[in-house]
Amino acid sequence: MSTVPAIRVRGLVKRFGDVEVLSGIDLDAPRGEVTCLIGPSGSGKSTLLRCIALLEEATDGFIEIDGEPLGFGLGPNGERMRLPQASVRQVRAKIGMVFQQFNLWPHMTALGNVAEALVTVHGMPRAAANAKAMAELDKVGLAARAEHYPSELSGGQQQRVAIARALALEPRIMLFDEPTSSLDPELTGEVLSVMRGLADSGMTMLVVTHEIGFAASVASKIVFLDHGKLLVEGAPGTVFGKPRHPRIEQFLDTYLDRGAAGLL
Amino acid sequence: MSWELFWLLVEASGLTIVYSAVSIFFGFLLAAAICGADLSGRAAVARPARLFVSFFRGTPLLIQLLLIYYLLPKIGLNVPSEVAAVIGLSFSTASYQAEILRGGFQSVPRGVVEAADMCGLSARATFRRIRLPIAVRLTLPALTSEAIMILKSSSLISVVGVVELTTMAKDLASSTYQPLPIFASAGFIYLVINLVVAGLGLWAERSARRGHA
Amino acid sequence: MTSLLGYLGGEDGRNILSGLVNTCVLWVVGTLLGTVLGFLTAVARRYGPRPIDWLLKACVEVIRGTPFLVQAYLLYFGGPYLCLELGGASACLTLDPFEAGILGLTIYAGAYFSELFRAGFDAIPRGHIEAATTVGLDRWQTLRRIILPEMTMLVLPAMVNMSILLLKETAVLSIISVKELKFQVDIIGNRDYAFVEAFTILALVYWALVELCGRAGRYAEARLSRYRFAHS
Ligand SMILES: Nc1ncnc2c1ncn2[C@@H]1O[C@H](COP(=O)(O)OP(=O)(O)OP(=O)(O)O)[C@@H](O)[C@H]1O
Ligand SMILES: [Mg+2]
Repeated sequence: MSTVPAIRVRGLVKRFGDVEVLSGIDLDAPRGEVTCLIGPSGSGKSTLLRCIALLEEATDGFIEIDGEPLGFGLGPNGERMRLPQASVRQVRAKIGMVFQQFNLWPHMTALGNVAEALVTVHGMPRAAANAKAMAELDKVGLAARAEHYPSELSGGQQQRVAIARALALEPRIMLFDEPTSSLDPELTGEVLSVMRGLADSGMTMLVVTHEIGFAASVASKIVFLDHGKLLVEGAPGTVFGKPRHPRIEQFLDTYLDRGAAGLL
Repeated sequence: MSWELFWLLVEASGLTIVYSAVSIFFGFLLAAAICGADLSGRAAVARPARLFVSFFRGTPLLIQLLLIYYLLPKIGLNVPSEVAAVIGLSFSTASYQAEILRGGFQSVPRGVVEAADMCGLSARATFRRIRLPIAVRLTLPALTSEAIMILKSSSLISVVGVVELTTMAKDLASSTYQPLPIFASAGFIYLVINLVVAGLGLWAERSARRGHA
Repeated sequence: MTSLLGYLGGEDGRNILSGLVNTCVLWVVGTLLGTVLGFLTAVARRYGPRPIDWLLKACVEVIRGTPFLVQAYLLYFGGPYLCLELGGASACLTLDPFEAGILGLTIYAGAYFSELFRAGFDAIPRGHIEAATTVGLDRWQTLRRIILPEMTMLVLPAMVNMSILLLKETAVLSIISVKELKFQVDIIGNRDYAFVEAFTILALVYWALVELCGRAGRYAEARLSRYRFAHS
């Protein structure tokens, strides 16, 4: 069983109208490890992540979470078949997602954001949900800000609340879509350090990021996506080490900064 | 004009406020239902919802009031004229509020709804806990204007014989032969009420703004 | 159906038609005069001295804060008591219903239109006006050649909505016995105890007019949209 990856993607195709954004992606994200997804803008990273989160429906292909099919499965005659809503919900409950734009609910406090699903989805009593939410906020260092509304928090704080909100639901897998891209440089550190802690605790993570330094030091696996195709994958040392694939060379020239050069 | 007359107007304005408030309340509930039907994507409910909105926005309230007032007994509902008036006002404001809410819902950022999806909230919970409160906050200014609109429009329910501020002013004006000060006073009272409502709207907006990213 | 057609011939038909014409006259004239009044008010508030701005703002708020029916009552019933003594002679604001209706609609529309135009003025990027000054246009030329055309684009949709609102308000004037459409149909409905029929037909006619106006507005908007300024 230990060979079953946390996320297994096979032959994933996504088209928006005539535009093929993902053209047959095969990807395994090993359990308990961090997989980083990098690639130039428009290469389809977000789309891939959103397909895995079922926020987009893939045009073709299969996704398995812990060996269980997500969204689509095989029918009796081997055809691709949409799975019933209940099973979708069950599998998706294993996934937590953190967005580039935080997407906190603006009308709820930090605590309210974290406690909301505990109450409405899991039926926890409000007091217990608040206690658990408080514990989660504490883990991301924001217990003192529990009663603040998103508009009263910095971007970095908002993103940490968003991480706490996802973690409160005890997912087996965390997806991050450029979690630091809309943050000022001095605020990315606090979010990355929360993510580092999470990785150390053994969480399975699939992270889209342009923070090459973070990717190189935390990920066990780097996946490079280009024009909807998986171009290179491997350990950071192999992907970033020389000789590099010319596209990666080009990509690093564009994105490498923030002192990451020293790490490679 | 004497203080007694003015006081009579003030008393009658209480009725104006009651009829308006009740209509705005029921209108809001109806508007939420209409808006839900419109945005449901199911033609069977969206069509009638849109037709309702189009009709009540496309015809004079005065005629809606009279139509409902005469139609209800014809279909076997013998209700007091106050009820007919409130139904008319509610339907009218519902159609406007539904349009306002629709705009609000369409301005709710998609990501915020996706976050609710990812947290496992059901469609119903997402509507009730996330989309509705955000849409209402986004539309508070427009809803306040609509409340003021209805307060003013409630002057028309005098035509189906309901007593309120304008009816009282009309009666007093013709019995005292002092139309100028009496209608001016009535206008003044409407103005004060509406300024208070506008103030309440601003206050609500300001307290809701705290909860805005 | 025959009975309905019966109404359209003869005396009743003529009355209904004259009512419809009056409604349209009130609507069009009210909209036009209201636009002019609203524009002048907006200009006066923008370019005039401060006290004028305050005074006009107060007037606009009063008109927007009170029911149109009360304004109509005040003009129609209160007008005759509103007199100006001038050297022994006195002139009072005695208006027939139609005059009171036109005046009332104009003032009412003017208040709302002025707010539309003010918003329109504010929405024009300062840079456009500065650009006009740089190429040597004077204040009046800038207003006529730059601000007005741009503002028309910006406020057209709201003006169409406002005009629709006015059309619906004309029905209120039947209460002060202006002989417009609702007034005329009302008489027939009362005479024949055909209230529901009368008001149903009225509703349908207004609905059709409103839809027509809305469609015309959207058409005009689409036609004019290519003049809309490019967004930077
Ligand atoms: N809903 C959509 N409809 C049509 N095209 C879309 C949609 N979403 C994404 N695309 C297109 O798919 C391609 C991949 O987009 P995607 O957001 O996945 O890229 P990305 O790798 O995440 O880029 P970035 O680094 O800028 O976030 C882009 O060309 C984009 O325009
Ligand atoms: Mg992206």
